Amino acid sequence: MASAPRSDTPSAVPPLAPARPVIWPPRVHRTLSNGLEVVLVESHGIPKFTGELFFRSGNAVVAAQAPGLADMTATVARTGTQRRTSRQIEEDLRRMGADLSSGAGADNSVISFAGLVDFSNELLGLVSELAQRAIFPEDEFERERRQLVEGLRIERTTPGFLASERLRRVLFGAHPYGTISPTEEQVTHYRVEQLKDFYQRYYRPGNALLVMVGDFAPEKMLAEIETAFGAWTGGPAEGAPDPALPELQSRRVYLVHLPGSVQTQLSIGNRAITRKDPDWLRLTLANSIYGGAFNSRLVMNIREEKGYTYSPRSGAHPMRQHGYFSIGAAVRNDVVAAALKEIFYEIDRMRSTPVGEDELDDARSYLTGVFSLGLATQDGLAGQLATATLEKLPDDYLETYRERVLKLTSADVLDAARKYFDSEHAQIVIVGDRAQIEAQAAQFGAPEVYDAQGSRIQ
Amino acid sequence: MTQLNIPVESMALPNGLRVVISPDRTAPVATVGVYYNIGFRIEPRGRSGFAHLFEHMMFQGSANAGKMMHIKLVNSSGGVLNGSTHYDVTNYYESVPSNALERVLWLEADRMRALKVDDENLRNQRDVVKEEVRVNVLNQPYGGFPWLDLPPVAYRNWSNAHNFYGDFDDLDAANLDDVQKFFKTYYAPSNAVLLILGDVDTDEAIGLAERHFASIPSGPQPTPADIDEPPQIDERRGVVEEKFGTLPGIAIGYQAPRRLTPEWYAAAMLDHAFHGGRSGRVYRRLVLEQQIAVDAEGGIHYPVGDLFDYNGPTLMVTRLLHKPEYSADQTIAAYDQILDEMKEKGIAADELEPIKVKFRSNYFSNLEGGHGPSIPRYGLMHLLACFTLFDNEPSLVNTILDGFMQVTPSEVQSVAQKLLTRHNRSIVIRQPAKKGAA
Repeated sequence: MASAPRSDTPSAVPPLAPARPVIWPPRVHRTLSNGLEVVLVESHGIPKFTGELFFRSGNAVVAAQAPGLADMTATVARTGTQRRTSRQIEEDLRRMGADLSSGAGADNSVISFAGLVDFSNELLGLVSELAQRAIFPEDEFERERRQLVEGLRIERTTPGFLASERLRRVLFGAHPYGTISPTEEQVTHYRVEQLKDFYQRYYRPGNALLVMVGDFAPEKMLAEIETAFGAWTGGPAEGAPDPALPELQSRRVYLVHLPGSVQTQLSIGNRAITRKDPDWLRLTLANSIYGGAFNSRLVMNIREEKGYTYSPRSGAHPMRQHGYFSIGAAVRNDVVAAALKEIFYEIDRMRSTPVGEDELDDARSYLTGVFSLGLATQDGLAGQLATATLEKLPDDYLETYRERVLKLTSADVLDAARKYFDSEHAQIVIVGDRAQIEAQAAQFGAPEVYDAQGSRIQ
Repeated sequence: MTQLNIPVESMALPNGLRVVISPDRTAPVATVGVYYNIGFRIEPRGRSGFAHLFEHMMFQGSANAGKMMHIKLVNSSGGVLNGSTHYDVTNYYESVPSNALERVLWLEADRMRALKVDDENLRNQRDVVKEEVRVNVLNQPYGGFPWLDLPPVAYRNWSNAHNFYGDFDDLDAANLDDVQKFFKTYYAPSNAVLLILGDVDTDEAIGLAERHFASIPSGPQPTPADIDEPPQIDERRGVVEEKFGTLPGIAIGYQAPRRLTPEWYAAAMLDHAFHGGRSGRVYRRLVLEQQIAVDAEGGIHYPVGDLFDYNGPTLMVTRLLHKPEYSADQTIAAYDQILDEMKEKGIAADELEPIKVKFRSNYFSNLEGGHGPSIPRYGLMHLLACFTLFDNEPSLVNTILDGFMQVTPSEVQSVAQKLLTRHNRSIVIRQPAKKGAA
């Protein structure tokens, strides 16, 4: 292709030149004697580094106590140590040119940090202190709790939040994955001892993974890490419970009434798979063709042809124990039924007709190209490494990703669509002003109606 | 201090198109941008929102690449693309594996040469844009707060004060004539800069730019629009109803200095002292210590722009969400105390020096990424574009930090005294609607 003759007219699309190989920067993968797993990669574009200290325990492991406890633990952990007050921590970060954030999802807790390499030693010292010597001051806890309550009240007016909340509840029921945030009342009952307990049990080297990418020499950085974290002790922690999931009998419709909405948030989904499943890449590719890219069928149909929505997207969401597939779009109130019809039309087309070679080629190129783009920044690299290492995927997972994608066939896509775009058991969540949309919703099944507080009203 | 030495080559084609190249062959990826010197500030009267609607039209088809071809050709080459409309520029950009570089340049040249769109495309994108406005503004708590709320209060010149996302009546009134006229007026090569970053040789990049862009006919340079503001003499206030959110919000904006002036460098440090995250004075005092507010953010040209990407009047903004048990007046009084302290006592070197370290650190991160994990060097591209279009000096990207690093404590105090006055500010209150029985 490289030597294809050039046209003098501007009308011909230039061919692609031969691709330059994607070269993986060397990586160091070690486990310290205390069990802390460390992954280091050099990236010298800017004199900085970025890091993430993960604990393989999140909100799910303590869901029986209350939702969101791991997240609250991570939030308050940054507000005081045996050696530093909250204000000192923030001012020290600024002095080092560093950013730091902490939080937790269902499966993991994380302290994320980035800073200038000149201060790497000091920043690692601070992160190590937050991981080992946080003291959970009562007044900081009370302030964060009030901020969380106010944040929850605002989330209950946010269509995207309400849609995710209902979809996850419907797909996962009483399983910890079925609850994405605590209620106000649950937050009011949080006790600082619960945070300290979570911290004791799960913030330990045997349960941790440290990923760092940046402008450093790995062996030297490893020595700094050894100094900062070497004396820390604590073995592995127990995993999260995995209670039974609800049986999804058929397609169901759930309407969340948000009075005054001038648009309707649609969220359609079904349970799918984790990243460890052998079908994961097949599903990723099928999703990319369906609604995972700008150039996907869903975007072409309900945005570029019909103008129903600005931001339609589908995604496969892997978690540690389970996964789900979802489709989202915020649409004009008067096209709720029409948009749903097209969403299911495109699903059924994916499930019934094999994808042609051109479209397949395009989608494979898209996935492999975007993967390469994601390696060009420190944050992007760190994200990829974390993905592969956190879930203990094979060592060559990232290196072989592109060639494995390129081997996928039209039959793979059809197979994944039939298995995981489960049209028959799709759960349909519709968030909007009931009076404007209920009749349209009812075309897809008798809706269960909820208010924005999550209570069933019909 | 690390002296920056980012390679920057620049030139102009005979048709006036400026070209800026910054090679870096570490990874086999390239980022391409075309920036036009037109933003929503100077869209035509009676056509609010048009610059942004027009940006959507640039994806609807050009002379040799019909509707969807831009998106399809970039995605299927393994790349991503988008565009965005700002106060004073509109950009179109792609990040791709570098073997698709020429294809991307061809696409950008094709739509700089001729836009080929019809009524159906316009109707379609008008609908899409309305849903964009709904999902980002009309159907979200604190939608548009304060980026759409402050300008009509703070400014007197329509260019600076109007609804940048567009009144729906104005979007409906836009027609194909408007589209072609806007294209002809503002999308001439001489009103644009092409940026090529990443895995390419400078000579190769220049050759590609010439091959694809040199034959695009030049057009007249648009006459500069009047975006001047009369001097502000009184505090200005406005109230906007918050339809969904539960907390009252307050946005305060001070007229900021012109870019690249000595006061601007000092104001950037002042801004960081106030709004630099959890260690900034506003967050620390109002959220962490006094606990009047539950959130506090801000910045110069915040929140839809930054210190560098405007070329006319703008504000240094503080955005607060506060507890309902405090009144707006109480909250503003607590905020004023923070400002008064700065004006009276200034800033110590041991506060200013860490701010400089953090500022420099943020600048580096922005150069490398600045726009999510899939668009390497977006931040570098954005700076190069603004320094070219506004200042005709892309190499400022390597030297601009010096000006910030030289700011002294007394300069920060002086600029605080000059800027942070009642008559130089505008305040918008977002008042939650009274809820009836649910």
